Amino acid sequence: MSLLSVEAATKRFGGLTALDAVSLEVAPGSITGVMGANGAGKTTLFSLIAGTDRPSGGRITFDGRRVDGLPADRVCRLGIARTFQIVRPFAGMTVLDNVAVAAMYGRRRIRARGPAEVIAWEVLEATGLADRAHQAAGSLTLAGRKRLEVARALATGPRLLLLDEVMAGLTATEVAEALAMIEDLRRRYDLTILVIEHVMRALMRLCDRIVVLHHGRLIAIGTPAEIATHPEVVDAYLGGGS
Amino acid sequence: MKAPLGLAAAVVAAAALPLLGSDYAVGIGLSLAMWVALTQSWVLISGMAGYVSLGHVVFYGTGAYVMVLAWQQYPPWLAVLAGGIAAGVLALAIGWPVLRVRGPSFVILTFGVAELVKYVVVNVEGALGRFGRVLFGGPDLQTLYWAMLGLAVAASVLTYVVRRSRFGGGLIAIREDEDAAEAVGIPAAKLKLAAFALSAVIPGMVGAIMVMRSTYFEPLQVFSPVVSFTIVTMAVIGGSDDAPGPLFGAAFLVVLAETLWSTLPEAYMIAQGALLIAFVLFAPDGIHGRLTARRARSG
Ligand SMILES: Nc1ncnc2c1ncn2[C@@H]1O[C@H](COP(=O)(O)OP(=O)(O)O)[C@@H](O)[C@H]1O
Ligand SMILES: [Mg+2]
Repeated sequence: MSLLSVEAATKRFGGLTALDAVSLEVAPGSITGVMGANGAGKTTLFSLIAGTDRPSGGRITFDGRRVDGLPADRVCRLGIARTFQIVRPFAGMTVLDNVAVAAMYGRRRIRARGPAEVIAWEVLEATGLADRAHQAAGSLTLAGRKRLEVARALATGPRLLLLDEVMAGLTATEVAEALAMIEDLRRRYDLTILVIEHVMRALMRLCDRIVVLHHGRLIAIGTPAEIATHPEVVDAYLGGGS
Repeated sequence: MKAPLGLAAAVVAAAALPLLGSDYAVGIGLSLAMWVALTQSWVLISGMAGYVSLGHVVFYGTGAYVMVLAWQQYPPWLAVLAGGIAAGVLALAIGWPVLRVRGPSFVILTFGVAELVKYVVVNVEGALGRFGRVLFGGPDLQTLYWAMLGLAVAASVLTYVVRRSRFGGGLIAIREDEDAAEAVGIPAAKLKLAAFALSAVIPGMVGAIMVMRSTYFEPLQVFSPVVSFTIVTMAVIGGSDDAPGPLFGAAFLVVLAETLWSTLPEAYMIAQGALLIAFVLFAPDGIHGRLTARRARSG
């Protein structure tokens, strides 16, 4: 049984088809990588799954329940949390408050402040932000804000976590750290993860399966080894096909 | 523990104001309490959720109109309550469509809706053949003052409690980034509507009381946009993030008005405008925000 099933999801922005009948199944506990050049439709796919955008067509099922067209807050409470590629911290709030409010709503819906803060601290430890907890979120560096995106999403208590280029702009060492962190989070929180990344090598190490988008279409899906030798992928990535 | 005790003492002192025996002093106290109650209420939707209402007079006017319609048919306290409920229901009706738009469009819409309601009331009154109504035989000034003081305290406590609640946390997150708030499960549409309705109830009751104070109802005056502008000015000057802000803002402007209005009324309007500009430019978090920042630096 898949946890998430995307069937012919389509998204049009005016005349532009950002996502063209993309289908995929995500098994519980797996890490699935999403690859593709800029503008391939990766973020759009996340927005449809998370309810940030409504699909123009197709259906999305999470844990046997139809979620496409539901508002984002409902989808989050059902157990899907996303990060934003263009980070969106609650800039005027402290890092701790950013995460605590997510724990108080989200799937966890912890009503009292105290227990929500316990979760918040745990998540801040796990994402390496604990030492910056009392700082205003707006004063974090970009790398810090990317971590905060992950921390806030985690605090909602998701079953499915959507990570949108959280490693972009990091140095090689930082990428290695981030990969270890994601592995650790998956085990600790029993997560299923979809991860968008440009760094192909990072995805190869991390993922059970990889899907490749190209101009809004899904052109390949398979294990990292299969993807690395997939003719269309090699063509699109190495053959100057956009 | 010191601050709550000090505040309780201040409330007791304020309640004892009529003992001075000066109607002038009680009148100023009534005005101060009114502006505190209005500005605190406004903070719920506009300070916390960041949806700036430029039409809050519509709730005040609605409460006043309910009082006028109920006059001498129902007990005044019941009409005050009904005025608050009517304002809350109106906020639900207005908020449902209007809270879908953000930023400047929302500001303009709230102003427009308030003007629209004003002219509806003007026309209804005209059709009824009523051009201004007189309300005689209401409660005395002292009673009105105590009622208004009660509303000011209630509104301040409400703002204080909401600011520290889960609900308030959700509103602040909406102010900071509404899309991100929804992405972490905050039901923004629901919270905004609840905050808007909550921000209307006390102003409705305030309007019902004030129309008994003026003993006269004339829609163009009661629904005057100047009330909305003054609320915004007080919130900007005092600070709109938490309960102390409206206290500072209302006290500051009421004192300024009392000192300048009688001697130099034009100077008062100019001073108010200049202050508004100065605060927006140099201290957008208001007096309370400045004080908190100073305390954080020195502590
Ligand atoms: N809100 C939007 N309005 C119009 N076009 C959009 C919008 N969001 C994305 N697009 C377009 O859809 C395409 C896919 O974008 P996106 O999903 O962000 O790509 P990726 O994340 O793979 O880089 C791009 O051509 C982009 O310009
Ligand atoms: Mg993207």
